[in-house]
Amino acid sequence: MVRILLISDRDNQKEKFINLLSRNKYSVEASADVQLITDLIKVETPDIIIFDTYTAIDFKTLSKNIKPLCEKTVVLLLVPDKFTDKELIKYANGFIFENSNDEIILGTISMNLRMKNSLEKLSDTNKDLQDSLYRQNALYSTSSQFAGTLDKKKLINFMVEGIDRALSFSLTCTLSFCDSEPVLLINSLHELSDEIISALKLRTILQYKSLFENGQVPYEIDINKLKVSKHIKDSASRFTFDIFHYDNMFAPVRLGDNFYACVEIFKDSPFSSDDATCFQTIAQQAALPLKSASLYQEIKETNLKLEKLERLKSEFISIVSHELRTPLTSIKNALDILMTGKCGEINESGTKFLDMAKRNVQRLSGIINDLLDLSKIEAGKMDFNFQNINIHQVIDYVKSTLSILAKEKNLTLIIDETENLPDINADSQRLEQVLTNLVSNAIKFTPEGKKITISSRLLNASYIEVHPYFQDEINKLKGDYIVVSVKDEGIGIAEKDLLHAFDKFAQIENSLSRKVGGSGLGLPIAKQLLDAHKGAIWCSSELEKGSDFCFAIPVAAEKSLCPAGQY
Amino acid sequence: MKKILIVDDEQDIVESLKFVLEAVDYTCYCAYNGEDGLRLAKEILPDLIILDVMMPKINGYKISRLLKYDNKYKNIPILMITARSQEEDKLIGEETGVNEYITKPFELDYVVEKVNQYLKAS
Repeated sequence: MVRILLISDRDNQKEKFINLLSRNKYSVEASADVQLITDLIKVETPDIIIFDTYTAIDFKTLSKNIKPLCEKTVVLLLVPDKFTDKELIKYANGFIFENSNDEIILGTISMNLRMKNSLEKLSDTNKDLQDSLYRQNALYSTSSQFAGTLDKKKLINFMVEGIDRALSFSLTCTLSFCDSEPVLLINSLHELSDEIISALKLRTILQYKSLFENGQVPYEIDINKLKVSKHIKDSASRFTFDIFHYDNMFAPVRLGDNFYACVEIFKDSPFSSDDATCFQTIAQQAALPLKSASLYQEIKETNLKLEKLERLKSEFISIVSHELRTPLTSIKNALDILMTGKCGEINESGTKFLDMAKRNVQRLSGIINDLLDLSKIEAGKMDFNFQNINIHQVIDYVKSTLSILAKEKNLTLIIDETENLPDINADSQRLEQVLTNLVSNAIKFTPEGKKITISSRLLNASYIEVHPYFQDEINKLKGDYIVVSVKDEGIGIAEKDLLHAFDKFAQIENSLSRKVGGSGLGLPIAKQLLDAHKGAIWCSSELEKGSDFCFAIPVAAEKSLCPAGQY
Repeated sequence: MKKILIVDDEQDIVESLKFVLEAVDYTCYCAYNGEDGLRLAKEILPDLIILDVMMPKINGYKISRLLKYDNKYKNIPILMITARSQEEDKLIGEETGVNEYITKPFELDYVVEKVNQYLKAS
């Protein structure tokens, strides 16, 4: 029923309006007492106030006092036919002229009521829109928070925060399985007694169990051991057991078979269906990042284990190699002393076997050195002394140390150098190690009387052509490179074995190295050393025709960009 | 005759060094642990010491440091033998006054050559 309050001290007007309005099913109250008027408005807000301007009350003052109590109320002024107080008009929604007939009075009232209803609807819609926008924002900021972390505990906290932002709860209970043991997270507006907390514990556990058929829960919970973590916003006031009469919602946080948490929310005002959707959405949204976080954690743990294993391996190799060196030194020394003949003459076959022993001691010590080198590089402990050098020096050095070996096999060592090549930024000793390895391999695998060619030239990375196996190696190069090639006329490598030429203890290397000696680690070491120089190594070969091993080292910049020091 | 002290817990290595050094007319004294090595060094005042790093009780670096800080012995050249070859080891060696650094496995000829360098010159 529409309520109308008439403020008038003129009995004829009061009588007239009460009669007219009551007849038309309006509830009417009339008064001219300021205190009574205020009380009436306080008890129940009228839909319309009709103010008789003849009344001995100052309307402006009254209006200021009662307006805050009845913002939505329509105020109509009952005015004489000739009304000119423009100031008063500001305080009213409309007028009723004293001499108007009943139809016009009723018409004015119903028109104003319709207007009031439309305005109210509009403002409700507006408020709904605002709420929904706010909720959207809350959802959006929660999902961006979710995206920002892989920490499961933080994710659960973000979820609770998000629910608070969107729904401003009185209390939430979150049973979280995202820590080393289950935790009940209680976020509450007010302080809670121990009894309420015990009740919440039990309630949450029962609800959690109800999610699974036949009580087949993924994690068993012992109520006596369940940890509670409380966050109270205002600890000055307390919730009573009335909290259990609040409106509430409950949702699990899970993805497939993975169960992360369940959350219950309490609020002192009823939830709308939009609230429920929003709550479910946030709980569901939390599950995916929680799954990612779990996977991430697993990967991290596995990685740590692998790193530890890798370190142990390196240390193991290093210790074993050092330990092997001592007895090896004694064997070598003994052989050397015997071979000097100072312990007595040694006959021809004796010398042959001493040679054999000495050769194998050298081979063994080579393997140990290679193993140590490799474990050092892999552990990042290899020291490099980068300097601007010319490849010419390196080739020269290798030529001078290996030409005797080549001559012994009657091999021709051809050096085909491009003149005036630019400098490279490199560790000359390490490059010598690489080139020595390639050339001594060539010497080993090339039959007597043939030739080996060492060449050097300047090439842009885009002009380097390689077997498709090594294209990836070349793709990472950019700019100008000095390319050194060691070409032999040896036994060659089958195409299927090319790919594994630089693998540690590669099958092909193994079978060959057993025949010709060597650790099978020379090429993998060369590859690692070139990686440290930001260069590349590759090869091409044809069975029975020969192999061509090449490596590329970047040309030094005007000023060395690569600081000397540890790799 | 010049006196050389060889200190290494690896008896075989001491034997072989002694054999080649005596062959070129040096008098060799041997010790098989750091303690004996240090005592002998002070007792016989050798012209040169060949020292292993890894030894029980007192390691090579410690012996080297103790001798080099004592005016009476600081001029005795020390050749350090070790299975280690890492840069930081060499740094420790330099800091403790080691004159030469020989990495296992070494060539006997190389050791003789180094010894000659120190003893023929003086």
